[in-house]
Formats: sequence, C-alpha cells, structure tokens
Amino acid sequence: MAQPAIFFEEVNERQGVFHRRAFVLGGVAGLGLVALSARLAQLQLVETQRYEKLSASNQFNFKLMPPPRGLVVDRNGVVLASNRPNFRLMVARDKGSDVPGTLKTLAQFVPLDDKRMERLAKDIAFAPKRAPVEVMEDMTWEQFSAINLRAPELPGVTADMGEVRVYPHGGAFAHVVGYVAKVNKDDITDDGPNSEPIMLNPGFRIGKQGVEKAFDLDLRGKPGAQKVEVDANGREVRQDPDGDIPAVPGKEIRLTLDADIQLRAEQVFGEESGAAVMMDCRTGDVLCMFSGPSFDANRFVRGLTGAEYRGLAEYERKPLFNKALTATYPPGSTFKTMVALAALENGYDPKTQHVCNKVWFWGGRPWHCDQAHGTQDLHSAIATSCDIYFYQCALAVGPDKIARVAREFGLGQIFDLGIPGQKPGLVPDTAYKRRTFKKDPVWHPGETPSMGIGQGYTHLNPLQLCVQAARLANGRKALHPRLVRSIGGVETKSGAAWGDLPFNPAHIDFIKNGMAAVTGASGERISGATGLQFGDLGLGPIKMAGKTGTAQSQGYAGGTGAHGAVGEWKKRDHAWFICFAPYDDPRYAMSVLVEHGGFGGSVAAPRAREIMRVALLKDPELRARIEKPLPMPAIPSGPAGGDVVPDLPAQPVDPSLAAQQATPT
Amino acid sequence: MTVSALTRPGERDRLIVKLGEIDWMFCLVLTLIAGAGGVMLFSIAGSSWMPWALPHLLRYVLFFAIMIALSLVDLRVWFTLAYPVYGIGLVLTALVDVVGHHALGAQRWLQLGPITIQPSEIMKIGLVLALARFYHGASGRTAQLSWWLLWPALLILMPVALVAKQPDLGTALLILMTGGVIMILGGLSWRLITIGFLGAIAVVPPAVMFGLHDYQRKRLLTFLNPESDLSGSGYHIQQSKIALGSGGLLGKGYGLGSQSQLNFLPEKQTDFIFSTLAEEFGFVGCVSIILLYAAVIFMALRTAYISHSHFGRLAAAGVTVTFALYVLINGSMVMGLAPVVGVPMPLLSYGGTVMLTVMIGFGLVQAVRVHRYSEVTSGKGALM
Repeated sequence: MAQPAIFFEEVNERQGVFHRRAFVLGGVAGLGLVALSARLAQLQLVETQRYEKLSASNQFNFKLMPPPRGLVVDRNGVVLASNRPNFRLMVARDKGSDVPGTLKTLAQFVPLDDKRMERLAKDIAFAPKRAPVEVMEDMTWEQFSAINLRAPELPGVTADMGEVRVYPHGGAFAHVVGYVAKVNKDDITDDGPNSEPIMLNPGFRIGKQGVEKAFDLDLRGKPGAQKVEVDANGREVRQDPDGDIPAVPGKEIRLTLDADIQLRAEQVFGEESGAAVMMDCRTGDVLCMFSGPSFDANRFVRGLTGAEYRGLAEYERKPLFNKALTATYPPGSTFKTMVALAALENGYDPKTQHVCNKVWFWGGRPWHCDQAHGTQDLHSAIATSCDIYFYQCALAVGPDKIARVAREFGLGQIFDLGIPGQKPGLVPDTAYKRRTFKKDPVWHPGETPSMGIGQGYTHLNPLQLCVQAARLANGRKALHPRLVRSIGGVETKSGAAWGDLPFNPAHIDFIKNGMAAVTGASGERISGATGLQFGDLGLGPIKMAGKTGTAQSQGYAGGTGAHGAVGEWKKRDHAWFICFAPYDDPRYAMSVLVEHGGFGGSVAAPRAREIMRVALLKDPELRARIEKPLPMPAIPSGPAGGDVVPDLPAQPVDPSLAAQQATPT
Repeated sequence: MTVSALTRPGERDRLIVKLGEIDWMFCLVLTLIAGAGGVMLFSIAGSSWMPWALPHLLRYVLFFAIMIALSLVDLRVWFTLAYPVYGIGLVLTALVDVVGHHALGAQRWLQLGPITIQPSEIMKIGLVLALARFYHGASGRTAQLSWWLLWPALLILMPVALVAKQPDLGTALLILMTGGVIMILGGLSWRLITIGFLGAIAVVPPAVMFGLHDYQRKRLLTFLNPESDLSGSGYHIQQSKIALGSGGLLGKGYGLGSQSQLNFLPEKQTDFIFSTLAEEFGFVGCVSIILLYAAVIFMALRTAYISHSHFGRLAAAGVTVTFALYVLINGSMVMGLAPVVGVPMPLLSYGGTVMLTVMIGFGLVQAVRVHRYSEVTSGKGALM
C-alpha cells in the first residue's frame, strides 16, 4: 500500500468486482423469490382444490352414532322389547391426563369402590388412547348432571346419554324374545356385518338369544355418524350438525304372540317347570309360547356376574332352556289321538271292542292300565285314555303307519319359526330301528304297545304337540306355526298357506269327538273320562276339547305313588294336556306340559283351561257368543233400570300408547 | 436524504445528521414484516396476545431500538471489533459442546444465569464481520486466488464444523453458504467457484449417508419422497403444503385457518408461521409478504452497493445474504421444496434469538449506510 496508484487501482478493481457480483447476487435472490412465488401460485392457485379437500378431511371426523334398536312387539303392538335412555359415564386416556386422579374425583359423585377403580384404571391404561371406557351405566339424572357440569375440568371424562335395551315384562317373553348383551371378542368377525366398527362402540349390544339373536341385523339398523371438527390430536373441537349422517333405526319385529295370553301363562305356571304353546288353529299364529320358570332378560343386558349365571344354569328346573322348543318328552297318552287316527285311516273298525281289566297279558308279560275300564270301543277308549285298548289298537295298526300319521301332524318335525333352538325329538318306526340299532335292528312286537301309549322311543317337544292339536282342530290344513308376524312392516308367510292333511276329514272328526268326550265338551259324559271337569270353561256355550297325557319319565317303572305325583321331583311323571276350543268351531289349540308335574288331567289341564280362557275372552266374536246380549226390554228411563253392570274390562291396546313407549326419549 | 459528500468536518458525526442518514423506509418495511408476524401470532394463539404476539412485538420494539443504536456506531468500531466478536463467538460455540443445554437432541444453547445464548447466532454476525475485515485488507489478486484464501476458508469452516457437531445442520449450512457468498463477492476466481460447487455436489451424497444423524437423514430422505411417511417425518411438509394450498387466492380469513388453529401444523408459531399466513391470507397475502422481503433484501444490498469502504460493502452484503438465505430456505421448506431444517422466517417467526441476530445485522447494515463515506483504514485499528 505504499504506492497510491496501485492502491487506487486495486480498490477500484475490488469495487468493480463487488458491484458486478452484488448485482448478480441481487438477481439470484430475486430469482429465488420469484421461484417461491411461482411455487405458491402452483400450490394456492392451481392445486388449491386438492389441498382444500385434504384440509377438510384433516379437520373433520365422523363419530359413529349407534342406531336405535328396533322394537319387538306382540301381535297388538304391546312392546316386548324397547329402549330406554341410559346415562353413561366414560373415561378415556389422553395426553397428560391423570386417570387414577380423575377416577378419585368421579368417586365423589358416583359409587366407585377402590377395587373397581383399580380395575378401571387398568382397563383404561390398556385401551387405546382416547378410546372411552365405560365407567358406569344407568346413572341417575342427578349424577349425570353433576358430572356433566364438571366435565370441562375433568380431562377425558364424558357423560352421555345412550340407549339400552329394556324388557318391560321381565321373564314372560325371555325365551322367545331373548336378550342382548355386550359384544365380546368372539362376536367380532373378520368380515360381514359383525365386523363393522359399531361393534366396538362402548355400550353397544347385540342379540344373544331368541328373536334378538335371530333378527339381530334387522333390529340393529344402520349406524349414523356425527360430524365433528377435531384438532391434530383427534380431540373434538366442535360439532357440525349439518354434516351429520342420521342413523337408520332398526326394524320393528312384530310377533304373533299375544302379551295377555303369555302373561297369564307365566302366572299359572308359577314356579312349575314346563311350557305352554298356543296356536290360532285357523292361521297357525303362535299366540303363546311360554317356558317356565323364566328369568329376567334385563339382567343379561346389564351383564350377569359369574355367580348369578351359575345360579341360573345349575337350577334343576333349567330356567335358561326354552322348554317349548328345546326339551323333548315322551308325549304319553296325547299320542293316542295319532294311534286312533292311524287305525281309522287303515280300516280299523272303531266299533272294535276290548275289555280292560287293569292288566292284560300279552307276549308273556302283563301290560297294565291305571284302572279297570271294562268294555271299551275306540271312542270311549280315547275318553278314558285306556292303555289296554291302545296296546291292542297299536298292535293292529303297526308302528310305521302310526309314525306316518304322527309325522303328518308335525310330530318329530322342525318348523321355520325364525328363532333357533328347536329339537326334533323322535317318532320311531322300523326304519329308525334299522338305522340306529346296528346290533338289534329289528322292531320287536313288544315295542308297539309302548308306542301306542306314547312311551318308548317317542319323545317330542311342546311346540310339536301344539301343532298336532292345531292340525286336529283345523281338521283340514297342515298348519305351520308362525311366530314372527312381520319384519319392519313386511308380513311373513301365513301358517295356513300350506297344503292339506292327507287324511279323511271324517276320521279327524272322530278323533275330535273323542277329545270332546275326554272333557265332556259335547255333553256326552263317559264314565272314567280323564278330563271331565275341564270341558266347561265357565264361558257359557264355549267348551274345550282335549286329551290328557301322563308320561313316565323314568322308563316303564313309573314314578312313585299314583301317577308318580309324589316323591322326588325329578322322578315324577310329566303332565301333558293338548286341547282346542271352542270344540264345535275351533279357534285356539294349545299344548301344556308340566315337567314332572304328575297326572296330566289334574296338573296340566287346569293350567290350559286358565290360559285358554284369556284367549277366548279376547276374541270379540266369541265374546258375543259368550255374552249372548239379550234384546233390551224397552224400559222407560228410571232409577230401577239405570244400574249398568260394567262389562268385563276389555283389553284393547291403544296404538298411540305403544308408539309412545316405542319412541326413544 | 442525500447529504453532500463535501460537508464540513465533523458535520457527519452529529447525532441528528446520523439519524437522518438512517434508511427509514427500510425501517418501515421491517416493522411491517414484524407487525405481520404479530398479527399471525395473535391469530394462532386463538385471538390472544399471549403467549406469542405480545412478546414478539415487545421484543421487536426493543431490538429496533438496539438496531438504531448500533447504526450510530462508527464503522471503525465495527471494524475493530470484528475479530474479537468472531473469537468470542467461536469460543462460545466450542463451549456449547461441553456445557450446553440439551434441547431436542441437540446442544445449541448456553445458559448464562438467566440468559440463554445461542452462540451460533453470534457466529453469524462474527463471521460476516471477520470476513469483511479480512477482505478489506486483502488485495484483489489475493482475494481472487492465493494461498491467503486458506485464512477465510478456515474462518468459515471452524464455526461450521462446531455448529454441525451440535448438531444444527441448518445453521451450519447457513453459515457455510453465507461465508461462501462473501468469498465470491470478495472476488474469488471463477475457477475456484466452479471447483467449490463441484466439490460440494460430490461431497453431499456420502455426507448424507455417513455424516448425518439418523433424524437428519430421515428428514432429508423424507423430503425427497414426502409421501413415504405421512404420519412421521413427512407429516410436517405435508401439513404445511395442505395449509398453503387450502389457502387459495384470498385465504380462509383471519383466525379461520383450520390447519393452524387445530394444531395440524407443527411449530406453527416458529418455523411454519408462513404456512399459517398463507392459509389465512392466501396467495395475495403471501406475495405481499414476499414483496416486503424482497424490498428488505434490495434496500440492504443497495446499502452495500453505495458504501465507500470495502469492509462496509462486504459487511452489509454479508448480512443481506444471511437474511436472504433465511427467507429462501424457510420459504422452500414450508412449500415442500427443501427438507425441514429448522430455519425460521426472520422477523415473522416467533423467537428472540433469530430476531436479535437479524436486527443486530441490520444495525450493522445501517451503520454502513450512515458511515458510508468514512475511511476505514486497513491494518491495526484506526480507532483503538
């Protein structure tokens, strides 16, 4: 720097280079900014729609809303299963939430003991983040509002109003309607409707028994979705009611049952074990299907404890069984109607007489009857249920012909009821023996008399016996039982829309007359008839015909005492009664089984009579026949004629009332 | 504003004249950008002054005062302090490795009582000053091609290595690029520039594979294929692009940006504030802000242009380069054109450190402008 000239030259040179390069630098920076703007234009002007969509899908989530479950109602619209509001308390784990602390706070408002809190804390810790775990159901309104008020200070706590199934009649319909219960792991499948995410919704329940199970998908409906705005952590920020997808409520299932009849059946059974099935013998509608003792389906909705479940499962009277369908019993003397019809169809002369001296020797052994009936023909033998007559009648016809008739009347058959659990039982014949007993495939003649009185291999369920009674009463049609009347308003196939019975109607009438003679319905009073006191229902001209049955439950040894009616319960005879009324114009047919009840005529028949009375009194046409309104004498108005005797309380069901119950609040 | 070059001696040292020499238009643009930052910070806090908007604006006011004060400092003082500042910066940067505060897997902060210092920020100013001082004393031929160039190269690489080791790759690259540009502006021969570029290109792939931390490599690879990991590393870029794109021409409206208001955008108050602005004010708002940044860059560059001293030129240009790199890198990052490197948008983003660096830098730029006619002698201090 000693030479100023060079210094200046150098400085100028440096300056020049700087200026040129700074200019380029400015240009590069400018280009960079232009490039950024171009990129912005690409994102914000050209591709903006795509990013708008992405932004919206970021912003909004859909929350599943369980649909209201369809109602189950009886033939008149009386609600058998509906939904009630359920205040639930749920806690979810989230960032920075103190679950044990939260639970401790909640314990101030709802009953939570330490053990339960510990379990809940564990459940919540294992549940996915922000997946609510149910802490309590069925809070009172006070508890619900107290917690809702404090929810903002309690992170992860939600109190909401869900719906839960309720069975207003408790046990009367438990076997038919079934129940719903919480979804467990095995219920969730990989595909199909049971793979849907709604299955994981806390508090969601599916049908586990009866109609609830069989029509689960119809009743379930389609879940809706609630549009909610969420933040990046998935927390709900806002709701957007306009964007909600409404849930499709489940379909209503209307059964053919009549609540009044069924409730009466529950009453008359008390703690007795058994079943009662009633059908309309013109349409095949099942008006009553009761199995006793029953259980409270509402307990299953809530969830049973292990001890409660064991209690129900281990009780010897088997309350969890639908005995109308799943239990099969020897039909006893009710089967004699089939034997008699088979005999008539095969040319047996009904005038054929046999003498009953209480014991009959045949095949090298004595065959017993419960008393000495004297000389009997086919008609009187039905009335007195004379075993000795039917031993010989059955031998005259043979097992295969009897079995054919029995099967035509629905015995040993399975019907399309819609609900699962029917056991077919068995009507034996020679082919059955060939098939089943490889070592002894021959039908021995000694087996036929047993079959003739409904013992031996024969065992049937109460529904089949009701179908049998209904087909006899109808006399012509091969009625099928119908339990589900409509699904979501769509009628199912009528039970009368089947073929005719392949038998001579005159022969069927003969059997019906025999059944009328059992109860004295036709006025004929045969000495020794087994159900004489039950023909008259106390309903004027309406009489009931029937057939008693007393089935030995312990092989041929029989129960102890007269008809095994005393002694250890499990060893007593089963009491049967099949019947129809009015005997002269049949409308209703039923079968009643009292398991280990003893003598059919004194245990099953009175119960049948009570149940039948309800059905008859509800029928307006029959009411007119019973009441026989006399022409009113033209009495001028005065105090003497003013007293009006009130009618029997009618039991119409106000449809608006049913609708009210049906509307979830 | 123009004051004649031929004024009485001492006239230029008068405070009022110096204040008049400050580029107030430049100050206005800076204030507009910082103000826009405050507006956005208010919005993303859910229309609240806290926790970001108020501190941001208060800080700006304070730093603005510091900038004005620094702009009055004689360029010879800056010149004298150049190497000491660089030295202190280097020592502190080295110190961070030993006693630094861990934040997010990186050591960047130094806790001195109540003050947290990020030495890499001091380094940015220090390097600019040190290089400007070196080139001030170097001849054009030296600057072009000579063994003496090892000295500025060392000045650049020492802090780059220390910062990269922390590891703060973004800042390291920023320092490296700033230094490189200053060397180019100083007059580096085109041959060396070309060799440097080719060398950088050759070095990058092995450096990525072997020299980077896992998370750094992941970020880089994610950038190259953002759809590969949308919920992980690609999340930031994807969400930022969604915010930008969904803004459209006019934006969703102030306070209505769902991406930022609902926390889909990470670091929305710092690195991704531009996305928030883009979402709520759209293309129009973005271009306006970019124009403001362009104005800052060109006004600062012009200051460098009109400076009479080589030190002043290079110092002002160096600061401008740092600032421009911030803007370009952050802009590319939020628009998905560059990997996520943790470089904020200067003045717009929340955060005191970067704002302080930038405002000190602009204090230097204004000092260059105010003292553009002063004679800065080379060699040992004219002043001290």
